[in-house]
Amino acid sequence: MKDKKSIPAKDDNYTHNISRNNERSLDRRGFMKTMVGAAGMFAVASLPWGTIAAKELMGLSDKEYPHQKIVDVKDIAIGDSVEFHFPSENDSAVLIRLSQDKYVAYQNACTHLRCPVYWVKEEKEMICPCHHGKFDVVTGAPTAGPPRRPLPEIIVQVDNESVYAVRVKRYEA
Amino acid sequence: MKRSYVGVIGLSVILLANIIFTQLMVHQFFFQNYDAVLLYMASNIILFPVAILIYKKERDKGESGYAKK
Repeated sequence: MKDKKSIPAKDDNYTHNISRNNERSLDRRGFMKTMVGAAGMFAVASLPWGTIAAKELMGLSDKEYPHQKIVDVKDIAIGDSVEFHFPSENDSAVLIRLSQDKYVAYQNACTHLRCPVYWVKEEKEMICPCHHGKFDVVTGAPTAGPPRRPLPEIIVQVDNESVYAVRVKRYEA
Repeated sequence: MKRSYVGVIGLSVILLANIIFTQLMVHQFFFQNYDAVLLYMASNIILFPVAILIYKKERDKGESGYAKK
């Protein structure tokens, strides 16, 4: 009896029944399957962008924290600074009174390596002592040293002779 | 068997549209036009069932052809 599929003794191994003919050829249907798969990938990849966009539209990132009293107006002279924590206990911040009615506040973790940034009255600059980073006091933008991003600004509000922290300004690239 | 490239061409067009929408979506995200981002995401997602539809249509067309013979 002659069987075409009988296995020669030298090839007697367990791979004889695996057909690899045309394994790599891509027919029309296979190509279309690939295209549908790619469309699915694009659809899935769009989801995170859409969810973040929806989140931004609902205003979740720009939420208003409960107003926190920082200091009374009479206790802070022009050119002085007060340290406080906002919005949580672990976010140290600094409030600076620039003129009679102008207050600025920043979260004072340096944007380089998160050392605390201090207001130096004599030099009219905010200075990070770790690597001599300097920040402009009016805008919070870095002016010298390693930091490249501005300090997060805290919006303050004067009410009944006291200064309140209201919200953290969004980071704008 | 007569070849029909409608499905292939249609799916290619869908893939091109996917690429374009994704690019526009990322750009509009950067410019913070979040409404536009949602719009492009919706179009990208809608294109997926359309692609499946085209594929199924093309596949069934082939089968019915065989049945006739």
